[in-house]
Amino acid sequence: MTRSRFVPGLLLLLGTIATAQTEKPGPMQSGTHTQSDTSKPADAAPVSNADAGQFDVPKLFATTCGWCHLDGGRVIGKGPQLMGTTKTDAEIKSRIRNGKPGQMPAFGPMFNDDQLNAIVAYIRGLK
Amino acid sequence: MSKWCKRSALSLAMAMLPWSLSTAADIDGMRLLNADKEPGNWMTYHSSYKSWHYSALDQINTGNVANLREAWSHVASRSVRGLQSYPLAADGVLYYSGSYNQVWALDGATGEVLWQYKQKLNEDLVARQTHSPYNRGIALGYGNIYMGTLDGKLVAIDMKTGKLNWETKLVDSEKLTVGFTGAPLLVKDKVIIGAQGGEWPSRGPIFGVDAKTGKQVWRFFTAGGEENNGDARNTWLNDSWKTGGGGGWMPGGYDAETNSVWWGTANPAPLFDWSGPDYKTKGARPGDNLYTTSVLLLDPDTGKLKSFHQELPHDAWDFDSATGEFIMLEKDGKKYTVHPSKSGFVWVYDRNAKVQNVWRLVKNINFVKDIKANGDLVGRRDGTEGKQAEPLCPYIAGGMSWNMGSYNPKTGMMYKVGNEWCMTLDIKKTTPILEPAAQLNIGADFQIVNPPGDKARGHVSARDPVTGKMAWEINFPEPPLASLLSTGGNLLFVPDARGWLHAYDATTGKELWSHNDGQGHNGGIITYTAKGKQYIAVATGWGGLAGDDYAGFFGGPFPQMPKDSGVLKVFALP
Repeated sequence: MTRSRFVPGLLLLLGTIATAQTEKPGPMQSGTHTQSDTSKPADAAPVSNADAGQFDVPKLFATTCGWCHLDGGRVIGKGPQLMGTTKTDAEIKSRIRNGKPGQMPAFGPMFNDDQLNAIVAYIRGLK
Repeated sequence: MSKWCKRSALSLAMAMLPWSLSTAADIDGMRLLNADKEPGNWMTYHSSYKSWHYSALDQINTGNVANLREAWSHVASRSVRGLQSYPLAADGVLYYSGSYNQVWALDGATGEVLWQYKQKLNEDLVARQTHSPYNRGIALGYGNIYMGTLDGKLVAIDMKTGKLNWETKLVDSEKLTVGFTGAPLLVKDKVIIGAQGGEWPSRGPIFGVDAKTGKQVWRFFTAGGEENNGDARNTWLNDSWKTGGGGGWMPGGYDAETNSVWWGTANPAPLFDWSGPDYKTKGARPGDNLYTTSVLLLDPDTGKLKSFHQELPHDAWDFDSATGEFIMLEKDGKKYTVHPSKSGFVWVYDRNAKVQNVWRLVKNINFVKDIKANGDLVGRRDGTEGKQAEPLCPYIAGGMSWNMGSYNPKTGMMYKVGNEWCMTLDIKKTTPILEPAAQLNIGADFQIVNPPGDKARGHVSARDPVTGKMAWEINFPEPPLASLLSTGGNLLFVPDARGWLHAYDATTGKELWSHNDGQGHNGGIITYTAKGKQYIAVATGWGGLAGDDYAGFFGGPFPQMPKDSGVLKVFALP
């Protein structure tokens, strides 16, 4: 019982420390900025973090891709329907990396090869 | 009389003379304050600080509009995502912006190009953006054209030469992915502009910049306020304000009597929350989430918050208050500010942002059961994780979108586009993505659907702006996504989604003229005079985000409609 109460408290403490350290001029101010000038929420675990083990593609769709690829990619929306796409794996990966002006953003180095493969596998598995 | 006003009095006096004597360099805060005394010019985004989107010009009127024909047009290069901007007209010259932060100055009578400006952009960044590469408009003043750029700068371009005078970096867009797409607003000697935000996990600032030097004077964070603002920070548990979204991506209005800038703020991120009814303590961003989905009154000189009303506390539906004009009018001896919002409701305030009434413009609304006249939400829908049993209405594109309506002081009516559409919603827990750069944080899978028992469509209605009482309504098979214009000639112009520009009798709603512009409308429309003749200028060119759904959902002409074409079309009587 004690342990389960302690751990959340520890996380909160660490979060508070993280907050205090990042409470400095952030990226919204004019002038020069560096890569380190970002304030992050205490418990952010980027979906694209390769060390996170399982890459959660459905969660990625609910976070970002679903803006255009409606219903998890199953239907046409702002973007084309992904379910049943006739594009090759290479074409899908290229489109994710490079985007298409005015239609899809370029995700560039956001995803590594394993993650791109996971996204392709998700698309192929859509029902 | 203040210092800036005294200096400007001479300019104003000159501006009141026959138009050929005043020059573009004379536009300043004082001249804008009296913009409606110059119906032949359209010097600011909303036509005047009162945001009527109206001109008193009546050379073109109900008696002769049937003879209106195209006078000339200008093709806007590289119009990826169409042409979404508002042209401005000053002293016989037309100025307008297009995609990739291009600007053109044209002879208002002939359409001949006087100069073209192209901003040097970080195009690698632009390629990574979703709400991009369009630009919604510019501001004029002090010999400059002000524009916010996709990569986070405010620039000042010389009105006479089209050369860059200065640029100021305001947002670290390379890290935050967002920049500016909305038009700035010149108020006194400050240029005010709000960043994109909303579904992006940053903090959506609004900036005040010195109009002459380009120095940033103030900044207001819409998500969580400034440092040490406990009032605002306490409405975001777990430090969720840090990735709270917000933003103020459309230009507001200005009330000189109270020296207050009215500005609407965007929704918080993630858009959809899994909190359930206990949104103050559970979910992705527990609390009311100040100052998102709010109407702010800011001091234009300092950016200090004077007053505010949060239209949707803990907005869980992406129904920005950033959209919608702030119509300042008087009725029965009382002064009001009327604000249509993306939610489908219209808020009516007094000039200190105290709610006087709330009325609904749209039929299909179920994110709340109702909103009371004092602004209280009744029966709000706060979902938990998983597929929601009932569709949510309206659709994420809003019961109203960012296209402007019009208020006509002669008819006393407000004209506004309403959208009837809904969505399925499957709420999911998400985590903000910040590395290597920020990405959208939606919080759900969703899909557009017809309203239950109804068909998705749009309408333009003529309403009493304070009570909402409808005089008449015109239905459209798809919601028009362009702005409206009404005039002293008793005309209402509606550019529709399919590409038809319609002119209606503003009193009765009877259609008097229409013309097929060849592609959908997704931008602004103004009227102005050049060499004594009245013109109507309308942006044509499809491809905005809201319109992206039309090809798949509505079909019709939309699958073949280009999304990389933009033409400014100008009409006149023979």
